Amino acid sequence: MPWSKFDSNHEAPKGDRTLTYCQAIREAIDQAMCHDPRVFCIGLDADDKFGVFGSMSDLTHRERVIGTPISENAMTGVALGAALSGLRPVHVHLRNDFLLVAMDQIVNYVAKWEDMFDRQVRVPLVIRSIIGRGWGCGAQHSQSLHGLFAQIPGLKVVMPSTPYDAKGLFFEAVKDDSPVLFLEHRWLYKNTGDVPTGIYTLPFGKANRLHEGGSLTVVAPSLAAMHCLVACEQHGLDVDLIDPRTIKPLDLPTIVASVQKTRRLLVVDYDFPFGGFGAEVCARVTEAAFAHLDAPPQRISFPDRGMPASGPLERAYYQTPDRLAAAMRTILEGGCVPVGAANELSTR
Amino acid sequence: MNMERTSTIKRDDGLWLLERMRLVRQTSQRIAKLYPTNVMETPVHLCIGQEAVAAGVCRHLGAVDKLFLGHRTHGPALCKGLPLEKLMAELYGRTTGCSHAFGGSMHLIDVEHGLPGSSAIVGGSIALGTGAALAAQMTGQPFVGVSWFGDAATNAGVFYESMNFAALRRLPVLFVCEDNGWSNVMPKSAHSAHDITSVAAQFMPTSCADGTDVLSVYDLAGAALRSIRAGEGPRFLHCKTKRWMKHQGPDACDLPDNGIDRERDCPIRKLEAFLAKAGLAQANEFSALEARIEKQIDAAIRFAETSPFPSTDLLEV
Ligand SMILES: Cc1ncc(C[n+]2csc(CCOP(=O)(O)OP(=O)(O)O)c2C)c(N)n1
Repeated sequence: MPWSKFDSNHEAPKGDRTLTYCQAIREAIDQAMCHDPRVFCIGLDADDKFGVFGSMSDLTHRERVIGTPISENAMTGVALGAALSGLRPVHVHLRNDFLLVAMDQIVNYVAKWEDMFDRQVRVPLVIRSIIGRGWGCGAQHSQSLHGLFAQIPGLKVVMPSTPYDAKGLFFEAVKDDSPVLFLEHRWLYKNTGDVPTGIYTLPFGKANRLHEGGSLTVVAPSLAAMHCLVACEQHGLDVDLIDPRTIKPLDLPTIVASVQKTRRLLVVDYDFPFGGFGAEVCARVTEAAFAHLDAPPQRISFPDRGMPASGPLERAYYQTPDRLAAAMRTILEGGCVPVGAANELSTR
Repeated sequence: MNMERTSTIKRDDGLWLLERMRLVRQTSQRIAKLYPTNVMETPVHLCIGQEAVAAGVCRHLGAVDKLFLGHRTHGPALCKGLPLEKLMAELYGRTTGCSHAFGGSMHLIDVEHGLPGSSAIVGGSIALGTGAALAAQMTGQPFVGVSWFGDAATNAGVFYESMNFAALRRLPVLFVCEDNGWSNVMPKSAHSAHDITSVAAQFMPTSCADGTDVLSVYDLAGAALRSIRAGEGPRFLHCKTKRWMKHQGPDACDLPDNGIDRERDCPIRKLEAFLAKAGLAQANEFSALEARIEKQIDAAIRFAETSPFPSTDLLEV
């Protein structure tokens, strides 16, 4: 098992070397393919000159990058079949919305295969997919849907927010013998951060505290985590900011311990609200730490409607660090914020 | 070759085709020109060079016929009857846009003109045209469904599943494959092992038009639709055309072997040459038409620019 020798290391390095989020993922893919000849990449436009927004440009093992037609459902089955036959596929999608075309294979096959046969076979399959946002992409090109996927037993859902996390979590995903959905946010691609040069893994289910504070726990994954960090830093908020890094498995102990300290919870989640990740975290914390809460747990999510295309509507639909800071301040002052911050639109 | 072709087309039809193709061409060119100024915050998939397909098919469609499009929407939507100002306003993100600023370029709708919406997930809308045809058949109403898609959409299972169902139930649906030979930067040879028409022929009668020649499309679409309307079941129309632009955005196609000769392959030039030679129209009419359409585009842009953005009050808390 060539992957077992790499230690878990979840302290971010300092001054090692700076990469963008995109470069960190590219490096992780390249090193994973070099390290393990069973790893290959497959996906629509995976082999074209754009290299999946640069995340797969100039890979060492081009011969293990397979472009596919627009056949996402069948190609997911192809990747599963290969995973059941000794390979470790990384199936890539340019947008999360395209995963929905492959929902049958993802939910009925990939996620269920190990359970149906009591783990006599394993499914070492990584599904990489990128979340879009903005420029009028509209309702079919801007969805995240991690809450939907996390609902399905058999899928791990990983959402790195920093270059360091992206690389370490990617290795953990490739190393995993079970299916992992690895969700990247396109708006994080240019962010930079220190990244070790070698192979290292970060464990799933281990959250990262991005900002230390004592008066409010904020749980936020992916881009929302970075927006909340900006909000906390620029506005000097006394917030304990927890980036779960993985939606499932979820690091509940870290979140609960934080809530026991701050006595308040806000979940900021760039996904639809109903039955989503935010709802799940609020429910879990309420179950585990009801007595420690001084106020009802609160959520900020997308409005409960599809993304609008027009610029002004988009800018109102999506949160910004400033709006998040205002919401956090409201909660710190004892107030409440509505779940979908653009609620009126959703009930039109 | 095309100039020597004979056609029994009437002057009215010929001028309609020319007018629509010019409308699509000049509108697309204007979008390409304005796009870098960021007045349109939405991805645009232009169809310069492909105008013959939209015009040639839509000439045979009425407002009751239901057309379902994918992401490359502007040409067929305008030819189906979507008013230009509603398209421009949608691209400008204004409330007066056809989708009230919620859709953007890839999601156009015009219920009045038989355009019940378009989708940006490749393939899915092939089923929707089929469903419209089912509704026509079940209610006995005299309309047809039209499923419109690119060559790469034939790689999705929904293509086969829809054709199979349509053939089994002899549905009044026309499948139009606007084959520009590319899926973004992937050539057809890399995405399709099959010959598209041969595959479709397993399910229904097919015809192959030259999608750079509007008279070819017009003739074959007309024949196909006559047979569909006569209750003879679904038909497949393959239109081989050329994409002069990049997959998305305002720039010209820069793929090395795109095989495009803008003189030879221009559907507008071809039709003008035919009309002139056949004595159906004269050169001065062509330049007058071009000028008239420029004015129409000016007016549509003014309309878009002066229309309100949707109120963000709706979104404020
Ligand atoms: C299910 C799905 N997968 C991928 C995409 C991304 N995508 C958008 S357009 C396109 C190419 C489509 O080619 P074709 O169907 O031939 O139409 P054309 O763009 O040439 O008009 C791709 C891959 C998508 N929109 N939907």
